[in-house]
Amino acid sequence: MTTTLTDATPPTSSPVTQEDSDRLRQQAQGRSRLGSVAYHAFMVVVSLVVLYPAIWMVFSSTKPHAEILGSVSPFSPNASFDNYLTALQGIGGVSFWTFVWNSTFVAVVSVIATVASSAVTAYAFARIDFRGRGLWFAVMLGTLLLPFHVTMIPQYILFQRLGLINTFTALLIGNFLATSAFHVFLIVQFLRGLPRELDEAARIDGAGHLRVFTSIILPLLRPALITVAIFVFISTWNEFMGPLLYLKRPDLYTLPIALRLFVDQTTTSDYGAQVAMAVLALIPVAIFFFVFQRYLIDGVATQGLKG
Amino acid sequence: MKRTTLALAAAGAAAALTLSACGGGGDTPGSDSTGGTVDPDEEITLTMTWWGNDDRAARYTEALELFNEEYPNITVQPTFSTWDDYWTARATEAAGNSLPDVMQTDLAYLSQFGNRNQFLDLTPFVDNGIDVSGMSDSLLASGQVGDALVGIPQSTNTLALFYNPATLESLGVDAPDAEQTWADFVDWSVAAAEAGASLDPQLYGTGDFTGVFWLFVQHLVQEGIEVFDADGQVAFSEQDVVDWLQLVAPLRDNDLFMAPEAVAQLEPLGGFTANLFATEFSWDNFLAGYLADSGAESLEMLPLPVGSTGEHAQFFKPSMLLSASANTQHPEAAAALIDFLTNDPEVGAIFGTSRGVPSSESARSQLSAEGADAQVIAFEEEWADVITESTPVLPEGYGSIEAEWLRLASELAYGNITVEEFASQWMSAAQSTLS
Amino acid sequence: MTTTHPPATLTAPRPSQRRARMRETIAGYTFLLPWLLGFFLLTFGPMVASLYLSFTDYDLFEANWVGLDNYTGLFSDPRYLKSVQVTVTYVLISTPVKLVAALLVAMLLNARRRGLGFYRSAFYAPSLVAASISIAIVWKAMFVDDAAVDSFLQIFGIDTGGWVGNQDLTMPMFVLLALWSFGGPMVIFLAGLKQVPTELYEAAEMDGAGAFRRFLTITVPMMSPVIFFNLLMETIGAFQVFGSAFIISGGTGAPADSALFYTLYLYIRGFTDFRMGYASAMAWVLVVVVGVITVLLFKTSKGWVHYQGDSR
Repeated sequence: MTTTLTDATPPTSSPVTQEDSDRLRQQAQGRSRLGSVAYHAFMVVVSLVVLYPAIWMVFSSTKPHAEILGSVSPFSPNASFDNYLTALQGIGGVSFWTFVWNSTFVAVVSVIATVASSAVTAYAFARIDFRGRGLWFAVMLGTLLLPFHVTMIPQYILFQRLGLINTFTALLIGNFLATSAFHVFLIVQFLRGLPRELDEAARIDGAGHLRVFTSIILPLLRPALITVAIFVFISTWNEFMGPLLYLKRPDLYTLPIALRLFVDQTTTSDYGAQVAMAVLALIPVAIFFFVFQRYLIDGVATQGLKG
Repeated sequence: MKRTTLALAAAGAAAALTLSACGGGGDTPGSDSTGGTVDPDEEITLTMTWWGNDDRAARYTEALELFNEEYPNITVQPTFSTWDDYWTARATEAAGNSLPDVMQTDLAYLSQFGNRNQFLDLTPFVDNGIDVSGMSDSLLASGQVGDALVGIPQSTNTLALFYNPATLESLGVDAPDAEQTWADFVDWSVAAAEAGASLDPQLYGTGDFTGVFWLFVQHLVQEGIEVFDADGQVAFSEQDVVDWLQLVAPLRDNDLFMAPEAVAQLEPLGGFTANLFATEFSWDNFLAGYLADSGAESLEMLPLPVGSTGEHAQFFKPSMLLSASANTQHPEAAAALIDFLTNDPEVGAIFGTSRGVPSSESARSQLSAEGADAQVIAFEEEWADVITESTPVLPEGYGSIEAEWLRLASELAYGNITVEEFASQWMSAAQSTLS
Repeated sequence: MTTTHPPATLTAPRPSQRRARMRETIAGYTFLLPWLLGFFLLTFGPMVASLYLSFTDYDLFEANWVGLDNYTGLFSDPRYLKSVQVTVTYVLISTPVKLVAALLVAMLLNARRRGLGFYRSAFYAPSLVAASISIAIVWKAMFVDDAAVDSFLQIFGIDTGGWVGNQDLTMPMFVLLALWSFGGPMVIFLAGLKQVPTELYEAAEMDGAGAFRRFLTITVPMMSPVIFFNLLMETIGAFQVFGSAFIISGGTGAPADSALFYTLYLYIRGFTDFRMGYASAMAWVLVVVVGVITVLLFKTSKGWVHYQGDSR
């Protein structure tokens, strides 16, 4: 008799015995030993294709400017680090390290502000039973689905009226106010996995929410906070739209905007230095990724599963 | 319910704060200064901005250092951006009444800001803080918007026909004749392109120059057709546009232009700087950039083809101007900076012809007569007697209609629209923008 | 000892309970304060303002009421319609392509083998930088004549002459960029796959169900919440592509508007032409469309998404 499996619940009486399970697994293993080489070969090829742009970028950055476009071979007889020297010189008196500092400053402050405000907000949604919680939670989730363009222009006007163009404030203020629902949601999901008994024990002992939050929850939130921190760092480091709108002076530019400045259509442009700077701009992201990949991948996975 | 009203109030407050932005700007006209010089004991900081790449930035840095030696009490804080971002940034600042003290400006945008009283009226400073004796009256007049002098021309340029002798040799054709008509030039280009069709890489006579809006304006002037009327509206007809675009019909219809997809592969170079086009129309001060980009040994310049009257009838266009903000706290210092950058001979030498031929005689005086700079100056001197017209007064919104022309030219090149559609679409865009 | 509290539903809350609730509410709103401030000041307020602006011709200097002119103007603006076409095409093509790839690779990675961690990281990494400017610059350079992609195709005898600047190949270039960042949804799919009990597959296999049948009857239904989540997020994300479009097209949507994504055109109208009223109208149309699509997705999801128990 065939078991119909079109409904989502697992069959209550499993027709599969332990022996069956073992047998199937061994059969599978036998197959997989043969297919293992093929599998890995395939995966390696796919990996190379996927990683090719990054590989290309790194190799091209060592080539002289004229040899970059229109050539496939990563190697060049004229390979050198000259492009990096040019990139490190910065543009028109603004040093490369200024751009790095600007990007770093914005990213670090964003991380701290977002982690703090998102944790506080998530705690409210997940652990405090207040009137209207459901409504506000739904509203917050709604902002997750909201295209940001609908707030972009008035925000710009607001900051302009407040004289905040050409300051980092315009870029940073949203982080202090937990405007990113994605990160709040990530922490909320994580919090839901923490047993309430801990909170409740403390509440019964007379601790207020502040105590519970700081002494009990925060330490337990560490993995989620680290995940948020990494996500925020990477997305802020790469951010283009905000700096494009609000940073109009080269000495305030972050790396993505500075990259653009390398090419001005009115006279000669240095493509080689552009690629070199593109590589330099991605190095911190690459480092973060290598060190923290577990957190990132687990964080993303958690999001999707309970979403 | 109380919470709802609270929410609405908050929303209203936020919206109101945002909307208090509307209706601002352009209140008091530029301060009525009486001109005069800077007090040497006052510590002053000026903000300044320009567009350009790092080469220009380096030159400005040098020039500003010289300025600081002359005026030790004035510190200049420079910023710069690419052309694409420049006017967006200025518009934002203008809306907040916070333009930099001194800024590089272009004729295309002068009215837009001048009409909103965003620029300082420099009339009181003429010969009283800003020396204009070294430039012609007609050139100086190009900085006028209404009754106010809002910009001091820094340099001039005029349109020229560039050609690459090496490419001509490969094509086996002679250089175009300086007295040719537009039709002659198109015929010449056809012959060149046909000769180049069998070569590898394929060479072309020219690109589709009808996409250069300034060239069209120059052509209208040649033909004696009014470009913009007194109200700042388009004065020419749709048919004039069609006629101009159809000048190159022999090239376009016979596929003698390089395909736009192929041209795009050359970026950041263009067809001429990639040594694939024999000729190009452009501003004469682009010579240095072209030489550097193309690596050509030499490039030559001719005036534009003559119009139906047999005259070249070219005009000098101020390639850029310097303006001051109407809201500056230091009008005398700003004027001094403008005067210095316009007239100082060493500054002239620093910039060479990279911004165009310096407008002031004293700035030209120390220009080393070498290389590209010398060639540009010689070109203008040689053809000075045909560069006799005055630049049309540009209306507000010129920058956008020029950009729209360029965009439509691209659509035409890609074969998405016809010449008639180009003309009608551009006309309606121009009419709605300029009204 | 028995307590004698009457059932809560039959009596009014006692004062102490009311006070407790009040304390909770105050605590709640205190913790929520930053978010509330942010919401009203930076989200809701601006939304209301932009709705107002969409009925004006605001250009940073003055705002005159123009009623519905901006909205009607949208639909008679060929560039607007082009931007809608470009964006819709992109969403309709790139989202399924990306999700299918993500699911397939996730299934490949859902095995007990060694070295999978490496592959998983390699596939995930691009999604972190795909929207960055560095990659946009590199991506464009790879699609130029005789560059990587073109040379690869030449092996098969296809000479495209470069994708950049070719108005028909611009969209494929962006779709490939979207595809390249399949790692994000892939990781989520993988986590979802790991939660499907293997007994289900084993039982089906014993009953003679082939791989494809097993996929359709086990994998898809069990994964349906995850598929829905990814579908929703990717669709909404696809509507909002900006950075790569801006860099690759040089900020203009070139060539010939083939890269004129909706958000790019919005930016051009709002921040280059300073027609902020018009751009605000565009933004609101986008909000409505995304809202409608979201509602549609949610409503139709009831037909195919099975949640296991109640995890909320």
